[in-house]
Amino acid sequence: MADRHDRDGHLTRRHLLALAGAAGAGAALPLDFSKVVLAQGAGKTLRVRMGSDISVLDPSHIFQIENQTVCGHVFNGLMKYDQSTNKIVPDLALSHTVSSDGTVYTFKLRPGIAFHKNYGPLTADDVKFSFDRVLDPKGGSKYTGQLAGLVKTEAPAPDTVVLTLDKPASGFMHKLTAFNQGWIVSKKAIEEMGEKAKLNPIGTGPFTFEKWSTGSEVRLAANKAYFEGAPKFDELLLRIIKEETAAAIALEKGEIDIFYALQQPEMIDRLGKAPNIKVLSRDANHTINLVLNTTIKPLDNPLVRRAMAHAMNRKGLIDGFFKGTKGMGHSVLTSSFAEFTDDVPRYEYDPEKAKALLKEAGVTGFKFEITSVGLSPFDRIVVPLAEDLKAVGIEATIKILERGAYTQARNSGNVQSCITGVVGPPDPDSPLVTLYAKKSFPPGLNTARYEGAEDLLAKAAGAKGDTDRAAAYKAVLQKVMADVPVIPLYADKLFLAHTSKVEGLVQNSLFTVFTYPASLKG
Amino acid sequence: MLGYLGRCLAHLMVTVAGIVTVAFFLMRAIPGDPAQYMLGDYATQESLAALRAQLGLDRSLVEQYLLFVARAVQGDLGTSVATGQAALTEIIDSLPASLALAFSGLFVAVALGVPSGIAAAVRQGTWLDVAIMLVALGGISFPVFWLGLAAILLFSHKLGIFPALGSSSDAGWLTSLHHLALPALVLGFSVAAYIARLTRSAMLEVLNQDYVRVARAMGIPDRRVVYRLALRNALVPILAVIGVTFAWSLGNAILIEAVFSRPGVGSTMLKAILARDYQLVQAGVLALATGVVLTNTLLDILYGVIDPRLRAA
Repeated sequence: MADRHDRDGHLTRRHLLALAGAAGAGAALPLDFSKVVLAQGAGKTLRVRMGSDISVLDPSHIFQIENQTVCGHVFNGLMKYDQSTNKIVPDLALSHTVSSDGTVYTFKLRPGIAFHKNYGPLTADDVKFSFDRVLDPKGGSKYTGQLAGLVKTEAPAPDTVVLTLDKPASGFMHKLTAFNQGWIVSKKAIEEMGEKAKLNPIGTGPFTFEKWSTGSEVRLAANKAYFEGAPKFDELLLRIIKEETAAAIALEKGEIDIFYALQQPEMIDRLGKAPNIKVLSRDANHTINLVLNTTIKPLDNPLVRRAMAHAMNRKGLIDGFFKGTKGMGHSVLTSSFAEFTDDVPRYEYDPEKAKALLKEAGVTGFKFEITSVGLSPFDRIVVPLAEDLKAVGIEATIKILERGAYTQARNSGNVQSCITGVVGPPDPDSPLVTLYAKKSFPPGLNTARYEGAEDLLAKAAGAKGDTDRAAAYKAVLQKVMADVPVIPLYADKLFLAHTSKVEGLVQNSLFTVFTYPASLKG
Repeated sequence: MLGYLGRCLAHLMVTVAGIVTVAFFLMRAIPGDPAQYMLGDYATQESLAALRAQLGLDRSLVEQYLLFVARAVQGDLGTSVATGQAALTEIIDSLPASLALAFSGLFVAVALGVPSGIAAAVRQGTWLDVAIMLVALGGISFPVFWLGLAAILLFSHKLGIFPALGSSSDAGWLTSLHHLALPALVLGFSVAAYIARLTRSAMLEVLNQDYVRVARAMGIPDRRVVYRLALRNALVPILAVIGVTFAWSLGNAILIEAVFSRPGVGSTMLKAILARDYQLVQAGVLALATGVVLTNTLLDILYGVIDPRLRAA
C-alpha cells in the first residue's frame, strides 16, 4: 500500500511525496511575519532604499552616492549647503572672517560639539587634521585638487581654525561645505583605527554609524545629543535593493519608506500614480555631456563641433527616450547653481544648419567614434545620437565599454569622444574646472583637452563679490558654449518617492538623500 | 579507501590552486584597476600614482602573484581595497546567505524535479508526461532573473503572499524563512526543470532494460520495480546532474541575489569585479572553487556508495 514503509530503508514514493509536501508547505505560508516582528520592535525606524552597497566611508577617499548618503548623515562640515536653496550656511562653524586681501579665512567653531562614540570634543585640531590628510600627496586622496591653493592650515586655539590661500579664490567656501573633502573627521578616531576607519566613520552628525551587513543593509542610530536637536526617529535603515522594480513594489507594500535616485521613466510614472506615495523631483547639479577631443581633426574646428551640436536632436531624446524626465541642458551649469544663466549660445536641432556649417568648415563627412559606458541609460542614448550624426553625413560609430575599461580609456585620454557627467555639489568649479581647465587634462575629465577658457576661469576664481562672480562665470559659460568642446546632452533631474508616512523630507540637488529633517507619522 | 581520499584531496587542491591562479591573472588582464575606479572623475597623475603605490599595484605582476601566494598559504588573502576589511572575512560573512539560498533552492529542485521526472517516465506518452515536460521546458527556457521578477510581480505585488525583498532586516528565523521562500522557489524551479528532464530520460533508459522487463514478467509489483530496481540504477546520473546544478545554482544565485536584493557571495563578487577589488575577487573565487570542487568530490564518493561497481574502479 501507499503507506507501507520500505523496511530496507530504500527510497520510496512516500519519502519523495513527503519531501515535496514539506517544500510545498514551506512555500505556501500566507502569513506576513514581518508585521509580527515589527510590532514587537521598539522605536521608529526609517527605511531607505539604496541602489548598491557601500564601500568607503572615509571622506578623503569617498566616492559613489551610497557612501555619500551614509556620510552625509554621520559627518558635518565647517559650512553646509541649505538643502532647499543651495545657499552656503554655517554648520560646525559659528562664524568666519576673511582677510581684506581674500587669502586668510578664520573660523570660530561652535562650542560643545562632541564626536560620536566618546571620541571626545570637536576641536580645531580635528578640522586641521581633516584638511591636512586630504592635502597630503602620499595619502592618495581623491580630493587633493579640490583644496589646491590652500597653503597653510592652523589651529591657534581649540575653537579657532585659520586657513590660508596662495591667492584669493571666490569659490573657496564651496570646498569647505559638508561634502567629500569638506567633511570633518575625528583625528583621534582615524589615528587609532587606521585601515578600519574606512568602515567606521566617526563624525559629529545627526546619526551614528552602527552596523554594516555586506550586501544587505546599513544601520545608523539617531544621535540624541546632536547640536541641532535629536532626529525625529530612532534608527535609519538603508536597505540595499538593486532592482528598481523590486524597490518600487517594496515601497508600495510599505517594506521601505523612501526610494531615492529613482531613474527609470516607467517607474517614476508608476509611483506617481500609486496611492499613498509621493514623488518629489528636482533639477540635479549635473548635465550629461558628449565631450569631444579637440586635438584631433576635424574636431579641432569649432565649426565642426557646432555642426554636431545642431545635428543632434536632444529635445527628441528628452521627450521620447526619457519621457520628459530630463531637462534641456544649454550649458553644463543647471538651474540649481547660483551662477546659472541661460544667456549662452544655443544649438537648436537643425540638420540643415549642421550641414551648412560642415560645408563652411570644408568638411564633407568623417569617421567619428562615440565611446560610452555599458550602464543604462548611457549605452542606449548614444544610438539615436549616432543616427542623427549619420543624417548630416558624419559616419558615427559607437563603442560601449564596461565601467572599469571605460574609466581606463577615459583616463588615458585616447578617445575621440566620451559621455561624461560631473556629479557633485552646487559648486560651479565642479563642472567647469573639471571639464574645461588645463589642470584637468587626462587622467582628469577634460578629455576634450580644451584650454580656451583658462583666463576666464582664473578671473572667475579671483572675482570679488556676488555680482562680479556672476558676471565672470557668465563670461566663462558664453565662451565655452561658443567653442563647444563639450555638448550638454541633457540636464539631469532627480526623483525621489516616499510613502505618505514620511513627512518633512527635503530633496536636495545632489544624488543623495538626507533624512534628518524627516519624521515618521504613526 | 584512505588512498582514494588522499587522491581526491590532492586533486581538489591542484584544481583550486589552478582556478585561483587563472582568476588572479585574468582580473589583472582586464582593463582598469582599483585606483582608477576609486579616483574616477578626480584622477590626476599624482593621485593615481600615490594610490597605486599604496595598494601595491606599482609592483610587477609576478611580484604581486608571489606575494599573494606567500600570504595565501598562511591563510591571509589580503584586504579589500575599497573597505579595508580582510577579504576572507567579507566573503565568509556573505557565505551563510548564499548557502541558505543554494541549499534551499536545491531542496526545492530535488523535491520537485525527481518525483515529476519519475512520474513522466512511468506515464510516458500520457498527458501527464507532456504537461510535466512542457512546464520543465518553461523552467529551462525562461532566464532566472525574468522568473524572479515575474514571481515578485505575482506573489508579492498581486497576491501579497511573500515580501518583495528576499532578505529580512529582522533577525527572527521565521521571518528570514518567509523572505527566503520566494527566491528559493524561483531558483529551485529553474533547477528542477533540468533535474526532471534528466530523471525522466535516466528512468526511461533503465525501465527499458531487460532485467526490468524480466522483473515485470515475473509479476513483481510495479511500484517495487520502479522504486527499487529502476530508480536506484537511475540515481547515478541524477546525482551527477545535482552536483553540476549545485555549482550552477551558485552561479544563478548571483542573478537571484540581484533580483531579490539578497546579500551573498554572488553580489559580493559582482561588486568586487566591477570595482576591480582584486583581493576580494581572489578570496571569492577561492571560496566558490573550493565549494564546487568539494561538492563534486563528495559526489564521487557517494557514487561508490550507491553503485558498488564504481567503488572498484
